[in-house]
Amino acid sequence: MTGHRMYAAAAQPSWNRGVKNDIAIASLERDAELMLRVRQGDQASFGLLLEKHRVPVVHFLYRMVRNKAVAEELAQEVFLRVYRSRDHYEPTAKFTTWLFRIATHLGLNCIRDGRNERFHNRLDNEASDGVCQQVPDRGQTVEQELVYRVKLREVRQAIESLPQKQRAAVMMHKYEELEYAQIADVLRCSESAVKSLLFRAYESLRTRLAHMA
Amino acid sequence: MYCPLTSAKGAERSGFEVAGSFAESFALRGLATSRNGAELIVGYVARTLDAETEAEFRRHLELCCACREAVAAQQAVWSALDAWRAILVSPDFDNRLLRRIAQEERGGRWRPGWPQWRWRPAVPVAAACILLACAFLLQSPAPKLAEQAQARPKLEIEQVEHALDDIDLLRQLGVEAVSAKASPSAKI
Repeated sequence: MTGHRMYAAAAQPSWNRGVKNDIAIASLERDAELMLRVRQGDQASFGLLLEKHRVPVVHFLYRMVRNKAVAEELAQEVFLRVYRSRDHYEPTAKFTTWLFRIATHLGLNCIRDGRNERFHNRLDNEASDGVCQQVPDRGQTVEQELVYRVKLREVRQAIESLPQKQRAAVMMHKYEELEYAQIADVLRCSESAVKSLLFRAYESLRTRLAHMA
Repeated sequence: MYCPLTSAKGAERSGFEVAGSFAESFALRGLATSRNGAELIVGYVARTLDAETEAEFRRHLELCCACREAVAAQQAVWSALDAWRAILVSPDFDNRLLRRIAQEERGGRWRPGWPQWRWRPAVPVAAACILLACAFLLQSPAPKLAEQAQARPKLEIEQVEHALDDIDLLRQLGVEAVSAKASPSAKI
């Protein structure tokens, strides 16, 4: 909270302040509301945000850096940054946009620094970093499992071949179901640039994965 | 490939291009003014189109082979990407994060904003301490120290002189005693 706002809040009678806060909070989306409660010192609200966004953030980062340990480490950093920024949080954009902006920034930096490569397990080493770590699909035969592994490897290689920004855009569009405007906000570019990125990415993927159709 | 919406141009084109022309025709009809073909196909497969546009596009697909092919290809990519399923997040993820937060809360890490209120009062306090120390040193009685320093050797000299006198006195007494002891034997 800035000094000016603190003074403004202190100048109001407590009952009025509470009512005004409640009205303001009610008009905001649920995540932003929780984040504002975290700003007011409510630790339980941070727990709720963590519970809701932990899995998508870890998955997003895992698909970016292709290493579970690094992805979890980066996800921890994402939530730490969210927590550290609680005092300055303003619900100007969607909470998920802000969250994925932090995650994308960290993920792209990690790829750029080659940190993920230091821990990177080879793509064909599924025993340590592939299928076994995924949510198991019960009821598959051995043959189906083998076919699935081959398919997964090809998909991962196809996604890995995309330029970093295209990869990030596909991850957000396909797996996190973010809107074009949100992706544009995360990647700090125009909506039309995002569409262009996405369509080029899908065109590349279609060429690479054509045999799987 | 033949698309009734683009047959006037009579060209063999990719699905995205054909759908682009479809979008143009949409625009002419005021249904989708800003959408291009790729957006329509991707949106249709991702199920993010509004109901009206989706219904219109579905009707078009019944007539357009090229658009159908493009949609089928995009659907194949879409379902292939589904193969990359979610991973299991470590069960201790939350605990590790909460430990790190607790560590920061205890002040193990620099936090922006702290130095502003922590160091501001410390600077004048430190300056006041330095001033007091200087004043104490300036006011301290330097001449007295010099006198003490001079007095110390005087005392020592006097003590030495006294000691020497005492030794002389003792020596004299000792000589007399020795001579007193020696005289009776001499008499014998």
